[in-house]
Amino acid sequence: MPEPKSISQPPLLEIKSLTVGYKSPIVTGISMACGRGLFVSLLGANGSGKTTLLRTVSKHIKPLAGQVFINGQSLSSVKTSDLARVMSVVLTDRSSVPMLRGLEFVALGRHPHSDFLGRLTDADLSVVEKALESVKAADLAERFIDELSDGERQKIVLARALAQEPKLMLLDEPTAHLDLKHRLEVLGILRGLCQKRELTVLAALHDVEAAAKVSDLVVTIKDGRLTGFGPSEQILTPEAVKELYDCPHANYDSLLGSLEMAPDGRAGRAFVLGGRDTAALIYRLLAKKGYSLISGFFLESDLDAHVAAALGGTVFSFKDGENPPEEKFLAESLKELQNAAIMVQGPAGGPLPDLRQRLVSEAKNRGIPVLTVGPDGDLGPLMASLKKLDDGQGLIKSAA
Amino acid sequence: MEAVLNAKLFTRRLAGRRVAVFYALGALTLFLVILNLCIGSLSYPVHQVAEGLFHPYENSDLSFIIWKIRLPRTLATVMGGAYLAASGLLLQVYFRNPIVGPFILGISSGATLMVSLVMLTSLGLQLTYITPFLTTIAGCLGAYGVMILVVAIAAKVRQGATLLIVGLMMGYLCGAVTSILTALAEKEKIKGFILWGMGSFSGFKWIEIGIMAFLGGGLVLAIFLLSKPLNAFLLGEDYAASMGVNIRRFRLFILMAASALAGLVTAMAGPVAFIGLAVPHMARLSFGTSDNRVLVPGACLMGAAVTSLCDLIARMWLNPVELPISAITAFFGAPIVIGLLLKRGARM
Repeated sequence: MPEPKSISQPPLLEIKSLTVGYKSPIVTGISMACGRGLFVSLLGANGSGKTTLLRTVSKHIKPLAGQVFINGQSLSSVKTSDLARVMSVVLTDRSSVPMLRGLEFVALGRHPHSDFLGRLTDADLSVVEKALESVKAADLAERFIDELSDGERQKIVLARALAQEPKLMLLDEPTAHLDLKHRLEVLGILRGLCQKRELTVLAALHDVEAAAKVSDLVVTIKDGRLTGFGPSEQILTPEAVKELYDCPHANYDSLLGSLEMAPDGRAGRAFVLGGRDTAALIYRLLAKKGYSLISGFFLESDLDAHVAAALGGTVFSFKDGENPPEEKFLAESLKELQNAAIMVQGPAGGPLPDLRQRLVSEAKNRGIPVLTVGPDGDLGPLMASLKKLDDGQGLIKSAA
Repeated sequence: MEAVLNAKLFTRRLAGRRVAVFYALGALTLFLVILNLCIGSLSYPVHQVAEGLFHPYENSDLSFIIWKIRLPRTLATVMGGAYLAASGLLLQVYFRNPIVGPFILGISSGATLMVSLVMLTSLGLQLTYITPFLTTIAGCLGAYGVMILVVAIAAKVRQGATLLIVGLMMGYLCGAVTSILTALAEKEKIKGFILWGMGSFSGFKWIEIGIMAFLGGGLVLAIFLLSKPLNAFLLGEDYAASMGVNIRRFRLFILMAASALAGLVTAMAGPVAFIGLAVPHMARLSFGTSDNRVLVPGACLMGAAVTSLCDLIARMWLNPVELPISAITAFFGAPIVIGLLLKRGARM
């Protein structure tokens, strides 16, 4: 029965100046509201109170202050058995049940709907069937769940939560301990359910990159308070992500939705001639080896520009439609070259070929090693030369 | 590749298999009950036993043996086995732990302590007017004393594991007192006490059978009626709570029902080992499910069958010497459980 959408309809989930915690408050002053069919991610560092907030919304623990409303009804006044028909949960508990088939496990989710003895009607069974199908786990129905892999079991766990026919699903780290394939699959399934079933998902996620890609809204928690609530595109700025996780060395690129680890520069500086979306892997490789980066010369919209910026260091880029300031670049890059330990030539050439040529010969003059990649951007030769350099340094160090 | 799922068909197929297992177990139990009535120091053919059953007041040896000895014993065995299995099943579900049995919370140790007080000291001598029921009453006091303590503690602690350890410690405490009493006791009294400690279904009086049937039957019925929330508990307390189960109330019910059943059997038959631990596994494996709506009656039936078989062996193997039933239950049961688990790929 589709409910008529009207302005007077209360939000599905509304939280008003809520304080959560066990005996002492962990997060205070949480206020937010969201409607149907949305994917809401809850982000925050470990121990920031994500799980505590979820457990408060799921009525496992009582709020220390403030209120939670589900469909306009205060959580404290709803009976848990009625709540179970509107809201289901997926917890981090990984323990399995012996001797229970997928279908039976999912059917446990019919608990709030079935009769006193838990008998399943044909209608119940078709809900179970649909739940299994919508998580693409129909083939797991007849198998014992303790024989399933982590990823398969998580799908069954989702199907059980779905069999409750909830409007709101709370999930605590639903993709922890899953491999990449299943992580994407589980998030994709949830995303699809939001759209197809008008299900609202509130999920604590530890993976900010994934959250940025699947969420409509994000809630960020830090230092015992809500620091951000809104569309992920607005909330997850590079600064906000850095701030949220307290990690000065990681840089978040909101366009690529990727998190890069800034190098510490212990190996010195590397001057990379990138461009045409070809040097991102070179940047990451060098960053891992401990080189801080100087890179150029490309458009600001080049993929290389994003990755290089996220990795920190000096970036020579210019706006589309502008004339590149070649002279300024030359002067500044000659200055940077003084501090460079190596120079790396990207595979594709790129804008300003004369400037590049000039810098390469300048580097050679100054005795700075100039490294290249193999044909078709094969990184093998580059890695080999880096290793050789590394070993050479090692020799010098041990001699000294 | 689109997997086609027909939940209705599959559920019907599973149900069909389970009904078949029920019939087979029921037939086996009936067969063992008849065997237990027929075989003994004096064996009778079935039709004579039936005659004895239908003429209870006839003044014959047969009628006496059937009505005063074998029938009470057989009924006690069937009920005792069923109750211990149900108790073990409840606690295995509650603790989500396969090696938990009905005595894990110290029920049997409490009963043993109280029984040792009356059997090993001269305390019982002053109570001669209730002598025939003395050990039963003592066992009852001990079992339910421990149960009340454990439930009181359970109302305070949240963690199941903590409760398990409390139960274990309770067992050690009672065991310590019992061993001191044993060290101080007279030699002749010790054998009787040790034999009590290994359990026996002999010497049941009809009033005891009545109490057992009434109380235990009521508890088992209540457990069956609550198999739906019990199923929710399969997922753990947090999930059960999220589906609308009142955790506090239901946890106390599980602990009380399990302890009450185990206490009932222990008070009357002594601590019968192994049934409560192993039978739920045997039932789970033969019915192929953890669904408690199947398992509560299934484990009861399985418990009745297994205990009947063990009692038959205990009585007949070294006839006329009767062996303690705990020896038989463990001796035959343990290898069966290990075998079944290995066949299923050693998963519990």
